[in-house]
Amino acid sequence: MSATPLPPQPAPPRPRGFTLGHRIPPPSGEYRWVYLWDAPLRAMHWLAAIAIVALAVTGFYIGKPYFITGGAESADPFVMGWMRFIHFASAAVLVMTAIVRGYWLLAGNKFERFAALFPVRPRDWVNMWKQAKFYMLMERHPPAYLGHNPMQQLSYTGIYLVAAVMVVTGFALYGQSNPGGLINRGFAWVPALAGGIQMVRFIHHVLTWVLIIFIPMHIYLAMRADTLERTGVISSIITGGRFVDAKEKFIDAEDA
Amino acid sequence: MSFAAPSWFPATESVEDELARRGVSRREFMEYCSSLCIVLGVGKSEAPRMAAAILADRRPSVIWIQLQECTGCVESVIRTSEPSIGTLVLDQISLDFSHTLMAAAGHAAESAAAAAMAAEKGKYLLVVTGSIPLADDGIYLTIGGRTAKVILEEAAEGAAAIIALGACAHWGSVQAARPNPTGAVGVSEVIKNRPVVNIAGCPPIADVVTATVAHFLTFGRLPAVDGDGRPLFAYGARIHDQCPKRANFDAGQFVEKFDDEGARKGWCLYEVGCKGPATFSPCPIFQWNSHTDWPIGAGHPCIGCTERGFWDTMTPFYGRLPDVGGFGIESKVDILGAALAIGATAGVVAHAAATSVHQMRERKRSLPVVDPTSGGPGTPKA
Ligand code: SF4
Repeated sequence: MSATPLPPQPAPPRPRGFTLGHRIPPPSGEYRWVYLWDAPLRAMHWLAAIAIVALAVTGFYIGKPYFITGGAESADPFVMGWMRFIHFASAAVLVMTAIVRGYWLLAGNKFERFAALFPVRPRDWVNMWKQAKFYMLMERHPPAYLGHNPMQQLSYTGIYLVAAVMVVTGFALYGQSNPGGLINRGFAWVPALAGGIQMVRFIHHVLTWVLIIFIPMHIYLAMRADTLERTGVISSIITGGRFVDAKEKFIDAEDA
Repeated sequence: MSFAAPSWFPATESVEDELARRGVSRREFMEYCSSLCIVLGVGKSEAPRMAAAILADRRPSVIWIQLQECTGCVESVIRTSEPSIGTLVLDQISLDFSHTLMAAAGHAAESAAAAAMAAEKGKYLLVVTGSIPLADDGIYLTIGGRTAKVILEEAAEGAAAIIALGACAHWGSVQAARPNPTGAVGVSEVIKNRPVVNIAGCPPIADVVTATVAHFLTFGRLPAVDGDGRPLFAYGARIHDQCPKRANFDAGQFVEKFDDEGARKGWCLYEVGCKGPATFSPCPIFQWNSHTDWPIGAGHPCIGCTERGFWDTMTPFYGRLPDVGGFGIESKVDILGAALAIGATAGVVAHAAATSVHQMRERKRSLPVVDPTSGGPGTPKA
């Protein structure tokens, strides 16, 4: 039997008001919740974030004390002392997060494991270009990944590397306060490699800026993904999972 | 077997006679030996042994050769307004042969040196000041027609141990700074088969030299050294950790420029480029000029002269970070970093603005909006 053609529908009214996101998915209930980031990984993310901010604030004071303490007596104020204490304590927290994350490279799920750090498949490079075009407003829909897309993999792995260099150079500098001690001896290769302890200091200082520059871009792109693509990535780093369209195919869904 | 003083040796006086002539009593000398033992960390009970070793007639000879250098190290050792016991002892025991100080000259000096080395072969202590230029077959320093490398190798051949005295002998110092035109290197880069101890500093403190020589004479070996061959008793601690201004550092009280309020109050010199946090030296304890003062005490930041490569790595002397590549990057890195950080923030704001403009255009184009479930234009991908 043939359906009676429907009479022409009147166009619905234009939506009023301003909304940044154009693609508000239908409230159809056809969603599934995918669990991506295990609790240890999320906890480490936020701990590391706090530690890095504390490290940058105190680190810049240590690098160049941007205010000085008044008063003639030095017995009472302990400004540099506290700055250094907070710096070293936060560094300890950051190292702890690195250790847990390192273990989670082996123990984590497929989105967290070592292989997920590197976009090495040919399809990753194609999709990285697509992602770049999306950011250049030349592509409507970015490649859909459940976990990190190739560009994220590359930049987050880069940040891990920067953090690793910060930790290593930091220990080399810290070790000098106890000459001949375990840290001093264990990290003696760092100044040897860098060309002197002052070069270590220089590298440690410059890379702080790399971390600082990363922060606004990271926050912006996360917010952009949430508002524009409705990916729910921000909630995924809090609750561990995100809602996705039940029918949407994801590039990395079947990855081992 | 016994070592006869060469004919050019100024006097046949023993160390004991010389000290007595200069008015140093036995008691004072013993106290001095005790303090040396404490400095060396071997305990006061070794003092009689050390005194005997220093005064012994048949102590090992000490031969001092001077290569590519400014003689500042010798000056540091001998030139004190009021010679300390240490200086006298060092003069007496260590200047058997010294290019600058000996009376003889020319062939007489050269053959006397050769004779002294031959007589004491395998037993003498060799003190070297100055670096060894290796570029162009070492032509940048020759003495008596022989290059510094040849002189050093010959002298080192019969040495029981070698003291590389001063930054030049340690690693090359100013002549080894970039671009190092003469290819200057330190002693330990030429002599690999003999124990070499580096008395770092430009110049080093005389007491460190005396203590090291005394250690060798007393125990027959060089003192324990750190990773860079510097004796731990002297270079085992960082200036920053022994500095009397450390309380100001911890308090956050800094000299911001010379002659400011903080400078007058004697605050920490960190902000004006003090390299104390990266420098291992006994300056705060031993001090200079008969324990009168030392650079930081006098209000000048430490320049890190006991560290290898300090002319390149510790410069600018009045800045905190090294001057990478020699074009002042150190002063620019914070400006650059801040510019990039602000640029990144501005960039994301601009990108967000561009995105929303783009979105509004997109939405206009896809209007009218239809039933979102119908799969028409402007509705989500399935
Ligand atoms: S003056 Fe130099 S060595 Fe002394 S506390 Fe300040 S930074 Fe450290």
